[in-house]
Amino acid sequence: MRDVIVFIEQRAGAPRRVSLELATKAQDLATALGGKTHGVVAGAGASQAAEATKAFGLGTLHVAEGGVTAEYLIDPLVDALEAAAKAAGPALILVPNTMIGRDVGSRVAARLDAGITSDATDVTVANGKVSTVSPKLGGLTITTCAFKNTEYGVVSVRPNVFAAKPAASPTSSLETLTLPAKKYGMKMGAEVEEAAPELGVEEASTVVSGGRGLGGPEPFTTLIKPLAEALGGAVGASRAAVDAGWIPHAHQVGQTGKTISPSLYIAVGISGAIQHKVGMRTAGTIVAINKDANVPIADFADLLVVGDLFQIIPELTKRVEAEKVH
Amino acid sequence: MKIIVTVKLVPDTNADKRIDPGTKRLVRTGVENVLNPFDEYAIEAALQLREKRNDGSTVTIFTMAPESGKEIVRKALAMGADDAVMLSDPKLEGSDIAGTAHAMAAALKKTGFDLILCGTQSTDAITGEVPGFLAEVLGVPGLTYVRKLDSDGTTINAQRETDLGYVDVSVATPALVSVTKAINEPRYPSLKGIMGAKKKEIKMFSLADVDFTRAAGSDGAKTELLELATPPARQKGRVVNAADGTEGAGAIFDFLREKKLL
Repeated sequence: MRDVIVFIEQRAGAPRRVSLELATKAQDLATALGGKTHGVVAGAGASQAAEATKAFGLGTLHVAEGGVTAEYLIDPLVDALEAAAKAAGPALILVPNTMIGRDVGSRVAARLDAGITSDATDVTVANGKVSTVSPKLGGLTITTCAFKNTEYGVVSVRPNVFAAKPAASPTSSLETLTLPAKKYGMKMGAEVEEAAPELGVEEASTVVSGGRGLGGPEPFTTLIKPLAEALGGAVGASRAAVDAGWIPHAHQVGQTGKTISPSLYIAVGISGAIQHKVGMRTAGTIVAINKDANVPIADFADLLVVGDLFQIIPELTKRVEAEKVH
Repeated sequence: MKIIVTVKLVPDTNADKRIDPGTKRLVRTGVENVLNPFDEYAIEAALQLREKRNDGSTVTIFTMAPESGKEIVRKALAMGADDAVMLSDPKLEGSDIAGTAHAMAAALKKTGFDLILCGTQSTDAITGEVPGFLAEVLGVPGLTYVRKLDSDGTTINAQRETDLGYVDVSVATPALVSVTKAINEPRYPSLKGIMGAKKKEIKMFSLADVDFTRAAGSDGAKTELLELATPPARQKGRVVNAADGTEGAGAIFDFLREKKLL
């Protein structure tokens, strides 16, 4: 494996931060492998997203825009990544561990007969050999894997584990990727937006989560969201809150929700039972607010404040907001 | 329609699992295997589709597992599936995502299908990558993260979740669809269902029964496990008993500042 290819996930011309994190990481990996770096951008808005990605220094950006790519969700993205990979030859392919990234990564791995590892929190090269580190069983065990018997290795990388930094020299070239004229079996309508374009829990470096202790749906709007916004983070939730119908499943952190690694996790009114713990145990710092000192989260939170969340959260939000003004 | 639901047995999600430092394997004592919770939504979606169509459509449970996995398959049958197929072969041990998908595909080509329903991911490996890989290997459209599903028998109409909402998608059968937990509320097996499940057929396949030409299990894997480590357990941290909101907020604010998180 020599070159490193990054799948640049984008929405309406804006690259997702996690892809820029991978673009930054790709340069170190390519240096260690003695190869070049590539980015693949496809779908409606690809040219604009490519422009925004240039600053992150990938050697070549392969851009597939327009035509059917505007109408379909996954297939043309897979075609674009496959075409760029075949042109580059043996390569390490990095995709974000997101809804779209997982689909594109797994399908391109199938087409290239490649090895694939998932949800990596680190990717390293030693003696020309790539290894990837992934927490499994909800962080209970950390596996280190390598590729074998394959020209291509695909890795889906967890958001938030690498920093996205503009490179000293921007991307050297943009290349138009021409996709095969193909009829796709899937017909897709326009996206219906139900949520404000806010940061998802998977990508946010701060997550404020609410649980059973909130007692209903309103505190998610009146308490959790304002604090998350003040901290520049996302809103999460426990299974209890999701199952009670207080907040959509997309926010759920835990074994039947999302597994996340934010720098800061604030658990509000969440007991921290094992189901939840496995979704957030790899967070950098964990702060819990609970009226009960004997909840399971007391055993692994870096700070547990025992008190009334309905009093504490508005006060905390006020202080964080005041801090931002200064 | 011939509907297949893929299921997996996973360690109980409510158990606090641990790794034996010597063998580096999961300590199975006291940890039960359960049906992967995500798969229950796929089973329920299949049953609802069969009931709605009411045209002789069938629901077949499929799993790739050691023979002990039969127990989990019985639960899926008790929910109301018609029959089950198990691909069970010691040679499959050590399969990675690629190997798993290829072996599953070989068996599913043998059973035939109009629609394959999968859960989003398993609660043990949590890759979420088998459905997409499997669809490619089978050469059928793969539609993931579906929260609403209907079919007239030849077309699947679905809603796929996105980060901000959803998109409506239609696709011709045969196809593969993975569903999210937003799609339904899985039913509990009835007593009648549990009794009936014992009489339902579980057809056993070994690799010799399916057209599988690749190297199996760890021999055919494209990835290898180099190391299994147990991360240091998180330590119990500071505890502050807050008399009121000001004290509680102050404690958190100071802590965040100290940790340079503001």
